[in-house]
Amino acid sequence: MKGKVALISILLAGISFSADKLIIKKPPESLSKYYPPKSKKFEFVSNMHKMSLAFYAVNLNINAENWEKAKEWARNLEKTYKETAKMVPEWKKYFKPELAENFRKAVESQNVDEIIKTSKELGRNCQKCHQDNMAIVKIMYRFPSFEKIKIEDPIEFTELETGKYMRKLSNSMKALRIFLLQGDTENARQAGEEFIERARQLKTMCTKCHTEEEKEVIKASMKKSSEALDVIAEAISAENIDKNKIFNSLNTIGMSCSKCHNVHEIPALIQEAFEE
Amino acid sequence: MKKLFIAFTSIFIGGCGSFEKIFVEEDLLKRPEAKRCGDCHAEIYKEWKKSRHAKAWVSEKFREESEEYSKVKCLKCHAPLEVLEGKKPVTRDKHREDGVNCSACHYREETNAIHGPLKVWSPPHPSRQDKFFKKSKYCASCHEDTYKEWKMSGSEKSCQSCHMPYIGKRDLIQNFPYHLLHLAKPRHDHSFPSLKAKSEDIEIRIKKEGKRRIIEIENVGVPHNLPTADQGDPKYYIIIEAYYDKGKTRKIRRTLSPEAGNALVYRKPLRISFFESKDPKKIKVTIYRRLSWKKERELIKTYLASM
Ligand code: HEC
Ligand code: HEC
Ligand code: HEC
Ligand code: HEC
Ligand code: HEC
Ligand code: HEC
Ligand code: HEC
Ligand code: HEC
Repeated sequence: MKGKVALISILLAGISFSADKLIIKKPPESLSKYYPPKSKKFEFVSNMHKMSLAFYAVNLNINAENWEKAKEWARNLEKTYKETAKMVPEWKKYFKPELAENFRKAVESQNVDEIIKTSKELGRNCQKCHQDNMAIVKIMYRFPSFEKIKIEDPIEFTELETGKYMRKLSNSMKALRIFLLQGDTENARQAGEEFIERARQLKTMCTKCHTEEEKEVIKASMKKSSEALDVIAEAISAENIDKNKIFNSLNTIGMSCSKCHNVHEIPALIQEAFEE
Repeated sequence: MKKLFIAFTSIFIGGCGSFEKIFVEEDLLKRPEAKRCGDCHAEIYKEWKKSRHAKAWVSEKFREESEEYSKVKCLKCHAPLEVLEGKKPVTRDKHREDGVNCSACHYREETNAIHGPLKVWSPPHPSRQDKFFKKSKYCASCHEDTYKEWKMSGSEKSCQSCHMPYIGKRDLIQNFPYHLLHLAKPRHDHSFPSLKAKSEDIEIRIKKEGKRRIIEIENVGVPHNLPTADQGDPKYYIIIEAYYDKGKTRKIRRTLSPEAGNALVYRKPLRISFFESKDPKKIKVTIYRRLSWKKERELIKTYLASM
């Protein structure tokens, strides 16, 4: 999939967009120069922070009537804005250097009405680009990637990529359901064993992104499904299998799968869609 | 070298008063690279170089999983500034490729001195004897979970006694002229061996409860979980093979890991149970492990029971 991806807006709940359909464009190639793995310095975002700081510094100094400092910061802002405009040629049209110039001139003239007017214009210019690009850039470059994360399959003892592992996991979950429905207990026991092992192993991937401090949150988020797995383990090694117990537990586990997908799968899908 | 030698002979004429100052090498208190400490502590440096602590930053897996070092929260234990009691380290700016290095573990800003377990006379850098180096808690700043497990085990043996084993009395320095001035001292292995559980560290018992076969596996020898980790992903593999009449077999596999929450806790048996309609003729249990940073699996134990 190349170029454009259409997404229904609920997928990005939390980001408010007016249309019920949102078109997101792949961020320009040259932006990748300012993010890992190509760079560890985050030059682009760091300029964003510089501009935002300068903007506020002008404001602060004017209120304190420290005009000399305010002018210095305004020149600073103009310089960074122009520098940033050159960083991503594909985004040239978003930048209007004259807006940063006008703002600087207004500050130099110490004309407060003019300062308010030009600062609004510049601010709107910043916002326009943010509306179009911020969400996707954050997903592509700031959300850690599942691409390099491998999980070791506890049944076959091989390392698999996240997507492949998920498919195996979900297949053994389905197999357990199917054999139970068909009344094939021997195979249900086997599928159950495999599913439990795979589901337990899922947790080994969490520390690849989450650290010690977050462990309690992570554990809590997996607690119910861990308990449900124990119930299934007990049930499949009993002489008479209690199907309802297993189905109920599977539902609990299913909810925990979805919870994790809500947080993690959507960014992973978008990243993948853009990575040809 | 010549200059040092002149200074060296002159003390024996002029007395000890000026000795310390003449020999002070100030960069040693500015958190230099491990290699610099190796100028004098050549053997310890060689051992450390082999350790995982020396690879903590350059480790391929760490580089990948920290996304080229861009996950900031991952860096502090892999390139720490200083190890302080009861605190997580902060990330240092210099010489990160050195990983967990000598200065991080031994230099203390508060005293502007090198701390260590011994009482020494060390002209090149001020030294302080610090009993904390003997305690397991020392390792806990980074090996937090393992430390908690160790504490629960009630073991009397410190982490150091197993992972920095005593290697006899030796010179701490291999550099002229100090090696002439100092006596051999108790030394501890700075290669921080990962070790490997012995067969007798794990007990296996096979039982039957009704129609359930129960296999109990218990860690009786290593006073922390098997495997143990804070951020790494080591594994234990258990393969149970049951042989029945007519060539029928059944294979059960388990992968144990700290994260999956099923590692072998010290003195707390893991129970694996399965339904059996008939008794098997024999049962074989094989245990392997894989360290976080290794590809190969290593055999820990095999156990065969005839019924
Ligand atoms: C051409 C597009 C563009 C323009 C123009 C632009 N920005 Fe940004 N800005 C971005 C993108 C993309 C991000 C998200 C970057 C990221 O999170 O890696 C961002 C992020 C930011 C952030 C948040 C950084 C963070 O860590 O979350 C601030 C603050 C910011 N911009 C300020 C400004 C200011 C002030 C201006 C105008 C003077 C401006 N930006 C103009 C594209 C733009
Ligand atoms: C590829 C990296 C990655 C992996 C692997 C990963 N996560 Fe996350 N997770 C994130 C990011 C990024 C967030 C967003 C918030 C943050 O940074 O904590 C998040 C957020 C969460 C949240 C919400 C946090 C909160 O404070 O509300 C939970 C719960 C969570 N993850 C659970 C898990 C579990 C359970 C696993 C393992 C099965 C896991 N994660 C694996 C990257 C990851
Ligand atoms: C880390 C939290 C996490 C948990 C817990 C989780 N998943 Fe996933 N799942 C993901 C991510 C991320 C992807 C997208 C992976 C990709 O495509 O690279 C995914 C993708 C999938 C897919 C689509 C695979 C494909 O590419 O075709 C299925 C099916 C799936 N998961 C099933 C499950 C089931 C069933 C469970 C619960 C037993 C579960 N998952 C638990 C994170 C999680
Ligand atoms: C609190 C300190 C601490 C933090 C923070 C930390 N680690 Fe580690 N890491 C360790 C310790 C200690 C080990 C040694 C084995 C173990 O106990 O897990 C280790 C081992 C590893 C290993 C296995 C050894 C190797 O090099 O292959 C990897 C990979 C790793 N860490 C990645 C990470 C990643 C990714 C993060 C951030 C999500 C992280 N670490 C954050 C302390 C830490
Ligand atoms: C120029 C030589 C030299 C260099 C370089 C040097 N040391 Fe030392 N160090 C000594 C001498 C001499 C002693 C005392 C030896 C003895 O008593 O046998 C010593 C002792 C020590 C001790 C034992 C202290 C104690 O109280 O247990 C430690 C720890 C130590 N050094 C760490 C370091 C570290 C870390 C570096 C690098 C920052 C370093 N040294 C660099 C010469 C040196
Ligand atoms: C400043 C943090 C820090 C301190 C303090 C620390 N370690 Fe480590 N240790 C690490 C990290 C990080 C790794 C993983 C390095 C790697 O492989 O990437 C590690 C790895 C190890 C390993 C190898 C583990 C394996 O998977 O093979 C052993 C053994 C070990 N440390 C023992 C100790 C002992 C014993 C102490 C206390 C004397 C100690 N460490 C103190 C950070 C620390
Ligand atoms: C992970 C932390 C750690 C690192 C890295 C480390 N040390 Fe140590 N060092 C210790 C501890 C703990 C002891 C005390 C061991 C004991 O007495 O049981 C010690 C002991 C010593 C001693 C006293 C003699 C001995 O062997 O017990 C010297 C000298 C020393 N270290 C020098 C160094 C030098 C030089 C380096 C780097 C090449 C270094 N250390 C790296 C933790 C560390
Ligand atoms: C009685 C000796 C002993 C003590 C005490 C001890 N360990 Fe271990 N440790 C071992 C053995 C044996 C292994 C190898 C286990 C295996 O087979 O993988 C090991 C393995 C490890 C590993 C590598 C990961 C793994 O599971 O193989 C780390 C990290 C570790 N120990 C840290 C510590 C820390 C930190 C302490 C103190 C809190 C400590 N150990 C105390 C014997 C000990």
